[in-house]
Amino acid sequence: MNLKSDSKVLIQGFGEFISATHIAQMKAYGTNLVAGVAPGSGGKYKYDLPVFDLVEEVILKFGQIDTTIICVHPYQVLDAALEAIASNIRQIIIISAGVPPLDMVTLLRKTETHEILVVGPNSPGIIVPGKILLGTQPSEFYTPGSVGIVSRSSTLTYEVAWELTKAGLGQSISVSIGSDAIVGSSFPQWLQILDEDETTEAIVLVGQPGGEGEEIAAQYIAEAIDKPVIAYIAGKHAPASKYWHQKGNVATVVKRDPNFGSTKSKLTAFKAAGVPIAEHLPQIPQLLKKVMSNR
Amino acid sequence: MDLLEYQVKEWFDQMGIPVLPSQRIDHPTDLKRLNINYPLVLKSQVHADDRVKAGGVRIVETTIDAIATAQNIFNLPILGEFPEVLLAESKYDAQKEFYLAIVLDTALCRPVLLGCKEANIDWESPGEKMQYVVVEQEFSSFYARRLTLKMGLQGALMQSVSDIVEKMYELFIQKDLDLVEINPLAVNGSGQVMVLNGKVRVNERAINRHPEIAEMAAKMIGRHKNSKVNGIFDDWDGAEIQGEIGILANGTGSVLTTLDAVFNAGGKPGMSLNLRHSFLTDTKPTTFCDRLEKGLKILAADNTIKVILINFLGTIPDVTQMSEVIANFIQIDPQELTSYLSNGSKPKTNKLPKLVIRLAGVDFDDARKYLATLADENEQPIVVENLDEAVKLAVDLAKLQKIEKSKLEDKKQKTKGRK
Repeated sequence: MNLKSDSKVLIQGFGEFISATHIAQMKAYGTNLVAGVAPGSGGKYKYDLPVFDLVEEVILKFGQIDTTIICVHPYQVLDAALEAIASNIRQIIIISAGVPPLDMVTLLRKTETHEILVVGPNSPGIIVPGKILLGTQPSEFYTPGSVGIVSRSSTLTYEVAWELTKAGLGQSISVSIGSDAIVGSSFPQWLQILDEDETTEAIVLVGQPGGEGEEIAAQYIAEAIDKPVIAYIAGKHAPASKYWHQKGNVATVVKRDPNFGSTKSKLTAFKAAGVPIAEHLPQIPQLLKKVMSNR
Repeated sequence: MDLLEYQVKEWFDQMGIPVLPSQRIDHPTDLKRLNINYPLVLKSQVHADDRVKAGGVRIVETTIDAIATAQNIFNLPILGEFPEVLLAESKYDAQKEFYLAIVLDTALCRPVLLGCKEANIDWESPGEKMQYVVVEQEFSSFYARRLTLKMGLQGALMQSVSDIVEKMYELFIQKDLDLVEINPLAVNGSGQVMVLNGKVRVNERAINRHPEIAEMAAKMIGRHKNSKVNGIFDDWDGAEIQGEIGILANGTGSVLTTLDAVFNAGGKPGMSLNLRHSFLTDTKPTTFCDRLEKGLKILAADNTIKVILINFLGTIPDVTQMSEVIANFIQIDPQELTSYLSNGSKPKTNKLPKLVIRLAGVDFDDARKYLATLADENEQPIVVENLDEAVKLAVDLAKLQKIEKSKLEDKKQKTKGRK
């Protein structure tokens, strides 16, 4: 994970989910944005960035790129990511939402075996408050501090950050792993990063119904994380029959719990792991202050 | 989105997966011009699973018999759905029946091949009978053979079944499917295999990259405008519940948190929509503001909804247009909302729901100022920055609406009483 403020960053595509405001914010935050790639617009300037037709042209001009932020149409995400990988870019943040899941399967087969970090799709990216912004997280909700946030939702990530800021708790690193059905990096990967991060003292995990990411995370916290973690799961009062993304026959075949993917199942997992659970947003800073003062 | 059996079989046929000779019947008289021989099976083309029990599948021996039965099936609703077409298909003498499927497991992030030597699976406890193989890396035929061997098949039958699994996988990838299922796969006395029924579920996020599927989806939505679309599009990106406070937000997590907050504040959350994605019923590409406009109208046309609570945080695409969409919405004539009602009837109220808009983030500074200028003498719409405040206002407003309504009804009752 390279989150240094001098690392070189590229933007692939200027689609629906990224605007002039986002790019201006990233620059104001000191993110070293070097160029954009938009096929057909090579040679032009957009949002004060030089635009190229191919990723390899950017590398010829500026040297190796550390991180790419992909904002192309969801149907072009796979191609853009493969292009980045072909140019040896190791950190890929996918902002675009609604990428067809089979495209993600293809991408993960490639990145999992090559140790490439993929964040998203449907993620606002990563922010290290006061240092670097990689993505579209609104920086006004953040203040530098010692609470790490790892979340699956986009908007909830900064909703939680703002709640902390208002309560006088700053943040160390905040990431949304993305809320599409299939995403790149997982909760355990980020819990490990936050556990190793020196500025992080406590971690908030933000989840929602669907899949089993939170359940796996709960077990991982109990087994491998030393820092205090608290959890907040949205959707307690949402209709229980909705599994959001994962449903159908396979769950019963591979003998998963009938509550698989529900908020209830996630809350049970955190309870079993001894992870404190915030019932609503304002309770998050309260719980954090408690666990942090206990240390 | 689930396809109908005849559509599934057309795709199977194109892939070289064995299906019986069959013909699509749009009208009972079509049975006079048949290219297949009697006896044959007439099948109602609806999405419900229990057609057989409901009487939607019948064997017929003669043309007269067939026409009468077809008339019968056309008039037989199954779980509320009338068939638009029937499928006439040859009969097959099955000695054994298997189950085969390919499904995308989003927890494993991989497609999974499923197979069982029995066709009637008890999904509550598939137990040891169901075999599965995870397609870890790029697909190759050995994955299919691995499944069929696990199923306990041998020799020529193992070969012919794994050949079908391979073709199913090809279809799965080609058309962006969430599920392709053959149930049952019949085997006759001479060991020949034949698909008797199949199911295909297209991934809703990929519909628009297949023009032919987008066209099918558009037709389905057109046809089912007046019934519950949910049966066909099986997962809205939102929550459909009956309550007084409708929610629109720019992310799934925000929808859920708002819903929880409304509940905790003593309110009743209603239909809630995430505007970040296109709706599953959108068969053409949409912008965020298209979805906002449509979302507002869908909620307003639901007459249980008294208040619409918008929760936007951070940034949204094309924020300037957002204010205009809201400005236009509050001037709308409620009578125009008819087309968005699920049952097609006229809206019973002449009033639009009240709007509470929560906007947080510097990107919304201009929008906040502009929307404040739209407020009428009742300070509508309400624009605030704090979520809890917005939720409280929405809950109070919904209660107030209820009191006003009951007062109005009391008045009516009294005037009636005087008469």
